[in-house]
Amino acid sequence: MQGISPFLRSPFTDITGCITSHQMLGRCQKQEMQMMDCMEAYGLERGMKKCGDFIEDFRECHNLRKQYSRFLAMRKERDRQIAAGILKDDKKYVSPRIDSY
Amino acid sequence: MADAIIRKQDLPPPGGYKPIPYKRIPAKQFFSGYAMFAGYIGITAAGLYLYNLNYKQIKKDEVEMRSAKMAIYPMLLAERDREYLKQLRKNRDAEAELMKDVPGWEVGTYYGERVYKNLPPDTLVEPIFHEYYAHADPKEWYRRAYLKLLS
Repeated sequence: MQGISPFLRSPFTDITGCITSHQMLGRCQKQEMQMMDCMEAYGLERGMKKCGDFIEDFRECHNLRKQYSRFLAMRKERDRQIAAGILKDDKKYVSPRIDSY
Repeated sequence: MADAIIRKQDLPPPGGYKPIPYKRIPAKQFFSGYAMFAGYIGITAAGLYLYNLNYKQIKKDEVEMRSAKMAIYPMLLAERDREYLKQLRKNRDAEAELMKDVPGWEVGTYYGERVYKNLPPDTLVEPIFHEYYAHADPKEWYRRAYLKLLS
């Protein structure tokens, strides 16, 4: 867990530690604050175990890995079914209309 | 011997050459200087008057167009949101249909693992672009992706 306690602590790390956070950008603000509150309550050692879900939620919000993995898995399965001939013609794809996203 | 050869010398024609026409021939003048200044001012004034009329009309048209856009904007937004939510349902159904034979897969999760663990189960987790277009034809994907890049 980088970012919670720097390897070498100095006044410079204290000054620059607050520059990158989600608190001003908005999207993951809630998850980050929940995680930091929890970590503050339990400390680093126990917090890593007790706040596992919060940490995971924050990571997911930050890098969207699970959502992207979901896409990869679904796309792989769809390509497999098309190649195997299970999905044919009109049933191959479910396309959204262009202005909807 | 020398007197026998009669030479003919080039000389002016009888009565001399015609006078050389060196006199300037000025173009015919239709307007005087004052008339031209007056015409310039008059035509400019008339043009400005017409320009002004046109300018006002264009401004009015712009206001009307802007008002119309503002009036229909909420409806367009609502239509887009409606289409988005309908497509989310279609995607959910498509996912259920597609992944029914995959062991351990639940709809809306990654092999049974929820995307956000602390959110209530019925919360809407907005899909990322890839997820939204996961079931789409690649052609549609590229159309939308290029639109996204261009706009």
